Amino acid sequence: MVVLCALASAAHAQWLDFPTKGIPRTADGKPNLSAPTPRTPDGRPILDGLWVADDSRHLGNLATDLKEVPFQPWAEKLFNERRANMGKDDPEARCMPQGVPKVNTLPYPFKIYTTPQAVVILYEMYYLHRQIFTDGRPFPKEFESPSWMGYSVGKWEGDDFVVETTGFNDQMWMDSLGHPHTDALHVTERFRRKDFGHMEVLATIDDPKAYTKPWSATIKQHLLPDTELLEFVCEKNLDPGHLVGK
Amino acid sequence: MGSKSLTLLAVVAGLILANLPAQAHHSFAAEYDTKKPVELTGTVTSIEWVNPHAWIHLDVKDESGKVTSWNFELGSPNLLLRNGWRKDTIKAGDVITVSGAAAKDGSNLANAKTVKTLDGKRVFNAGSSGEPGTPGAPSAAPQQ
Repeated sequence: MVVLCALASAAHAQWLDFPTKGIPRTADGKPNLSAPTPRTPDGRPILDGLWVADDSRHLGNLATDLKEVPFQPWAEKLFNERRANMGKDDPEARCMPQGVPKVNTLPYPFKIYTTPQAVVILYEMYYLHRQIFTDGRPFPKEFESPSWMGYSVGKWEGDDFVVETTGFNDQMWMDSLGHPHTDALHVTERFRRKDFGHMEVLATIDDPKAYTKPWSATIKQHLLPDTELLEFVCEKNLDPGHLVGK
Repeated sequence: MGSKSLTLLAVVAGLILANLPAQAHHSFAAEYDTKKPVELTGTVTSIEWVNPHAWIHLDVKDESGKVTSWNFELGSPNLLLRNGWRKDTIKAGDVITVSGAAAKDGSNLANAKTVKTLDGKRVFNAGSSGEPGTPGAPSAAPQQ
């Protein structure tokens, strides 16, 4: 496969326009994002790369593809209150972590690195990270420190990288509308790279305290070639002082 | 290599659009009122290139000569960068026209939607409403 490192742009401090190596390119040097899914020598899809959600539909409403959300009554009441308040209390507006699976829905990219022991994902927004352990370890028996991003383990099932995450706190909003969750939340994400430039994350929400049955969202992603992650430290957030609500 | 200024000419067409509070970020709808549009021309006193939102501080003179300071919230520097802005695109001393949505709390605060320079030609898509086409929307990813 011919890799053309054309388009050498002016050096930029944060590699905003730096050509990515190893990307299949067409004759004119443009990334060929419909090239086949790259695979390891033993045939497993390679997920590594810089990705971002195609659109903000699931950030706005993770349940956007559902006709009806299987709320427990208290969760529906809380959801309606958050909606009526126009998201005034969204932790994201206070620069708190988005949590899982919301990190897959953001307008900022994330970068996947595969190591022998873990798949590591670096998220640009708020500078978050996850280690998805692939060394066969079980979940801890107890979660001494419930967390925003949870504890993640992953394994391959055919072409799907299947990530199970639990051990969450009860603080995150699963979208901007405010779908709630509890510390019983268990998220399954199936990462499926469709071709070189496209990937789907099928996220399933299983939280029996908040929902009567599991529900899912398929969040489409695309590869961002020839750019890099930027720093995103929430250094000066003036929003909280102006959040009025209704 | 094409000039950077080409990217800077991020001309905004058809930007007056669908109001989609459900897709807004950072509780946009809790902070700003799209039914309270503002358009102000003034002199930039400073730019703050900080996350989660960059800021333009603007001195606006009314007909009587009284100067009022306004604060305009932009998208994050990261999204502005990917939209072609650079931190010196707008500088202190520049005279610009900013349009956007005013804060609900009545302070001299607004979320910028577009920024126009005095020559009226350079129109930058600036806000953080998350509306399609703004830096808050993923369609602002780098173009090839």
